[in-house]
Amino acid sequence: MAVLQAILDGLMIGGVYAVISIGLTLVFGVMGIVNFAQAEFLMLGMFVAYYAWAWLGLDPLLAAPLAFGVVFLLGAAIQRVLIRRVLKAPEVAQIFLTVGMLIVLENAALLMFGSGFKSVSTPYQTSSLQLGPLFISVPYLAAFAMSVASGLALFLFMRASWFGRAMRATAQDPMAAKLMGIDSDRMHMLAFALGVGLTAFGGAVILPYLTVSPTVGAQFVVLMFTVVVLGGLGSVAGAVVGGLAVGIIQSLSALAFPIQLQNLVLFLVFIAVLALRPKGLLGGAR
Amino acid sequence: MNRSTLLRGLGLAVLLAVAVATPFLLDPRGYAIRVVCLALLFAAMAQCWNIVAGLANQVSLGHAAFFGIGAYTSTLLLIHFGLSPWLGMLVGAVLGGIAAFLISLPTMRLKGHYFALATLAFGEVMRVIANSWSGLTGGPVGISVPFAPPSFAMMQFKETRPYYWLMLAALVVVTLVFVAIRRSKLGYRLRAIKENADAAEVIGVDTTRTKITAAVISGMLTACLGTLYAQFQFFFDPDTVFGVASISVRMAMIAIVGGIGTAAGPILGAFFVIPLEEFANDLFSSRAAGLSQLVFGVLLIGVILIEPRGFMALGSRIRRLFGKGGRP
Amino acid sequence: MSQPLLQVSDISKRFGGLRALSGVSLTVAAGEIVGLIGPNGAGKTTLFSTLVGLHRPDSGAIRLNGKDLVGLKPHRIAAAGMVKTFQNVALFLDFSVLDNVLTGGLLHLSVTEARDLARRCLEQVGIAGIADKLARDLSFPERARVEVARALCTQPKVLLLDEAMAALNHVEMDAFIALLRQLRGEGLTLVIVEHHMRAIMSLCDRIVVLNFGQLIATGTPAEVSRDPAVIQAYLGSSAA
Repeated sequence: MAVLQAILDGLMIGGVYAVISIGLTLVFGVMGIVNFAQAEFLMLGMFVAYYAWAWLGLDPLLAAPLAFGVVFLLGAAIQRVLIRRVLKAPEVAQIFLTVGMLIVLENAALLMFGSGFKSVSTPYQTSSLQLGPLFISVPYLAAFAMSVASGLALFLFMRASWFGRAMRATAQDPMAAKLMGIDSDRMHMLAFALGVGLTAFGGAVILPYLTVSPTVGAQFVVLMFTVVVLGGLGSVAGAVVGGLAVGIIQSLSALAFPIQLQNLVLFLVFIAVLALRPKGLLGGAR
Repeated sequence: MNRSTLLRGLGLAVLLAVAVATPFLLDPRGYAIRVVCLALLFAAMAQCWNIVAGLANQVSLGHAAFFGIGAYTSTLLLIHFGLSPWLGMLVGAVLGGIAAFLISLPTMRLKGHYFALATLAFGEVMRVIANSWSGLTGGPVGISVPFAPPSFAMMQFKETRPYYWLMLAALVVVTLVFVAIRRSKLGYRLRAIKENADAAEVIGVDTTRTKITAAVISGMLTACLGTLYAQFQFFFDPDTVFGVASISVRMAMIAIVGGIGTAAGPILGAFFVIPLEEFANDLFSSRAAGLSQLVFGVLLIGVILIEPRGFMALGSRIRRLFGKGGRP
Repeated sequence: MSQPLLQVSDISKRFGGLRALSGVSLTVAAGEIVGLIGPNGAGKTTLFSTLVGLHRPDSGAIRLNGKDLVGLKPHRIAAAGMVKTFQNVALFLDFSVLDNVLTGGLLHLSVTEARDLARRCLEQVGIAGIADKLARDLSFPERARVEVARALCTQPKVLLLDEAMAALNHVEMDAFIALLRQLRGEGLTLVIVEHHMRAIMSLCDRIVVLNFGQLIATGTPAEVSRDPAVIQAYLGSSAA
């Protein structure tokens, strides 16, 4: 029974992992850049939701769209001012530009928000639903539901809207997209903004059960990379599968190992996947 | 040609003499000499990173793994067996080399972003192990180097000056290794892999073996520097010596700021970055934690955007500008 | 009759659903110049890449001097004596010309010895004058020659040239043909992929024709140019 409960918890958490990681994979898919700073946008999303709660009394779940909006704009600006300039640069430059962003964002947050841990209190924080012999924590369920909703919204956007289709075209064949009159600069900006915005959205919905601090991103960096590498860098569907898998791996290893070693399991899975199937478990056999 | 080689040799000799004499100009118990020591050490570390990243373009984000292995190995051997840190350093180098070999096996086929990600995770694995295996490492609270009567044999000194010469010697050795590698078969092969791995294989370069050899050399040297760090600081914890930002990224950043792939780059970079950081720390840390790190990040972004090949390239760009401007 | 230097028996290679090579066999004797021709997409470059180990054949055998090469990595095959040049020229762009060529020499020699040999190879190919130039700054015909020099510097027994004459004008091509003849005279065995029929016809002892991954003809230049299957393959592809 403990195993079933762990799998259920893992699925709930994994749904959130999927959404926060979709942003990372989207940026890679469209621009070929691995954003090492992605987890910092999760942290920013959490802070937006925290202050929306502290100042406006807004529930984090309701503040999630706000977090998305704020970080979306920030992302667009960062793409415009920074990322755009290294798209054709050597990989070293791309890697260390985003590593630099990671350092700047984390420490800017430290300066602005202080180093303390902050958390919100909501009426449903400790409640849970009973499902036969299993329990579902309400904040987990709420975060999961919000994640599914945002994932579906993204899916519809990518499929049905002109922007979404143009973005996928840019990812698949930049030259052809350009010939069709698609402005690749604008598509990149949209992709980056959407990507970090989604991650921030995910940050807001997990705030009811996690505390936020400027260094919270560090906990998520390798986790997010594990998710996207499992699913195949650049694949949005892969990120969903990867997210659920990582959620389940994590909560199952919680049954067997103390907390620090859970991360170790994740890291080892990560290195193994990179070594054996660098294109992801769903990707081609190369 | 011959004359310029002679001049260059002379210049280097003068520079080295100045470097050896510098401690006599600084207060032996002061703060400045400690900063210079750290700059020398970090220059050497960046040079180690430069062997794999600069020559073969294998951008590692996990070199802290080897550094931490070196720091912990010599310190634990000293604590438990009273072993001289010099011998501990050798053991650490062997373990660092083995670690580099082991992580090379699964990551050798990876390039660019993928290689960076895998090495990042490896560094984090080591950090997590050091934090959770408290029985061995003392865990997150950290570990102290036991005091011994100051002597060269125990790599402990009353003053900072001998540490300075130690760090200087380390930098000279690592830089000579780098230069020797670059001129050797290994260096040509590493650079050929960076340029075009398929073409290199086809004309006879064993790319796997070449990369592993470089990684092992780099890992061993980095581990040695970990021992020096431990002896210099007397106290450290897993998050410091295995840290991504504190070690792995900083090593890389120093090499990049100075000029990736060049012998002088890491040295220029370290003497720019480390004093700047210390200065910022000194100036702001009481008022605002994080500001010096912020400066560090902004600097990294600035260098990448202005000249991703660092000061060395910036220098030759300026020289070219003047060369052109001088002629009618 | 002695055994051939290079013996390719019945090799096949698939990429997903695409049959790039099916059952290709050919032999090359020591000192021969063999031309490999065929319409675009016939599998010529794939065959070369498979011979030097960049692709592993799904089946079949490749023997050099009787030694089986299948499954060996490219650097081992280079050490065994077979090297190819790349169709779109793969130099080390940030190396000087001399360093490019020298790197080939490191296969069997020390850095100093390789440097001497590299200078000789550059002279042989007729580009000693540009030894100190950066590869990045060269014209395409120059690059192609540097790549040949780099391959020569590995001291191969068999050299596979993939359209090394693509960008040459008539004068340059004549010089290049003379160079290849001279190399053959010094004992090198050559297999060349080339679109310039004039070069192929005047240079090759024997011609092998590939179409859709299959060998459709082999013989002297005169025989092959009269072969109805060959004419059909070329006309068919140009009519399509």
